[in-house]
Amino acid sequence: MNNVLKFKNKKTDVTAQDEIYNFAYLDENTKRMIRRALIKALCIPGYQVPFSSREMPMPYGWGTGGVQVTSSCLTTDDVIKVIDQGADDTTNAVSIRNFFKKTANIETTEKTSQASIIQTRHRIPEEKLKEKQILVYQVPIPEPLAFLEPRYQETKKMHALSEYGIMHVKLYEDITKNGHIETAYAYPVKTNERYIMDPSPIPKFDNPKMNNNPAIQLFGAGREQRIYAIPPYTEVTSLDFEDYPFDPSKAPHKCSICGSNESFLDEIITDDDGNRSFICSDTNYCNQRMENN
Amino acid sequence: MQPILSVHNLNKYYGNQVGCKNMNLTLYPGEVVGVVGESGSGKTTFINSISGNLIPDSGKILIETGNETIDFLEISESLKRLLIRTELAFVHQNPRDGLRLDVSAGGNISERLMSIGQRNYGNIRQTIFKWLDKVEIDKSRVDDFPRTFSGGMLQRLQIAKNLVTSPKIIFMDEPTGGLDVSVQAKILDLLRKLVRELNLSVVIVSHDLAVIRLLADKIIVMKNGEAVESGLCDQVLDDPQHSYTQLLVSSVLQV
Repeated sequence: MNNVLKFKNKKTDVTAQDEIYNFAYLDENTKRMIRRALIKALCIPGYQVPFSSREMPMPYGWGTGGVQVTSSCLTTDDVIKVIDQGADDTTNAVSIRNFFKKTANIETTEKTSQASIIQTRHRIPEEKLKEKQILVYQVPIPEPLAFLEPRYQETKKMHALSEYGIMHVKLYEDITKNGHIETAYAYPVKTNERYIMDPSPIPKFDNPKMNNNPAIQLFGAGREQRIYAIPPYTEVTSLDFEDYPFDPSKAPHKCSICGSNESFLDEIITDDDGNRSFICSDTNYCNQRMENN
Repeated sequence: MQPILSVHNLNKYYGNQVGCKNMNLTLYPGEVVGVVGESGSGKTTFINSISGNLIPDSGKILIETGNETIDFLEISESLKRLLIRTELAFVHQNPRDGLRLDVSAGGNISERLMSIGQRNYGNIRQTIFKWLDKVEIDKSRVDDFPRTFSGGMLQRLQIAKNLVTSPKIIFMDEPTGGLDVSVQAKILDLLRKLVRELNLSVVIVSHDLAVIRLLADKIIVMKNGEAVESGLCDQVLDDPQHSYTQLLVSSVLQV
């Protein structure tokens, strides 16, 4: 109720430019449809709920699913942060942030702790998330079984009946070929001991962060028209073998800017001689550390 | 002794067309039943209907698991699929139908193991080697893709993939079809050995009487979707009563 009133108040002093759009771009009926899908997804952790994805003013693969989920969750009180591969200042992050600034007229931030909604492409922020925060993932291919079983009807059945033997065949092939589980991103997880889920192409380094996370985690795949979710404090385990346990793995380097030993690193080639350095992929985490020192 | 599989009055129609009609079958543990007949006689429809690949129109299929009798057509789909990947096995005529061609030979054999919950790579690997050995595929081929295998090797791989979880009932649809005679002989030899060694219960479909004579204890002769004659294999083949069986037996090439 409060939100509605505030929104009305705000509406009185928005500029003519902003009135072209409904709040957060999508029309209210679409948002209601997506919220229904989100609630269903939260009730069945890891289950892919179909939804009627809309055309968005950006190409598929640029986060149309994530944007629709974020748009449906936004209130006028929200503070939004958008990251792309951990960074706040890359094209995708900047354009989506500007998109919501323009269509919803809301506050944006780069600070993880100050954001109420964080839309992300391919990373989970280093800083621990809290209750009442929402993390929205952009998902290219929501079906973890897709590469092994191309028939959608069949994968639906496999999920319904928990027939997940084939998922381990993929890991078996990995160990056989490489001596260890080579899958480094989009590493399959089991949610709430039931559904096998694709965590979107986050590095497996981030997988443990999904487990028992106090924040709400929502996944939107625009092109594939699927939404799934992990409610707060839900068990999320990465698949493995008894004798080849899951290993989040990390490059054996320090961030050359902030010196962190714990963060996920990007490898940067610095000149034509092939010299390289490693820096935090989470720019906000890196900046905060620099400010505090 | 109780039969491990019994089929009563099974019917399957394709519209008005008869697939198979009034079929009965009793399979005891350790027994091999052969189904013969010309092409189009309903053999494949019959084996598909009793193995869960097709849903028959009417009839009863009872499977004895050791502690209970399961009515195969009445159980839930989840239980049915669980049975299909644990207690039952299906060897296709074309091994490419039963294998994943973009997964290594070892990976193919391991799938059923992992689907029943085995999670130890070392143990799984050992079981794979044991089965490669059993079906006479060289261990060095374990990580090769099935598409690099010859036809005979593919069929042996398919057999290993199916038998790895020690299923109780094995359905085979023309397991030696499309293979040259010497490879056929090798596969038959292998099947006969496995049947004896592991005490397998098998329903095997073939148009090749020699295959049936070699493997089967009992035989069902089909024509136009119906069983025209059945009984002990040697008895039926040596003293065929029905005119169609007589025709079938007499048309075998004598070399």
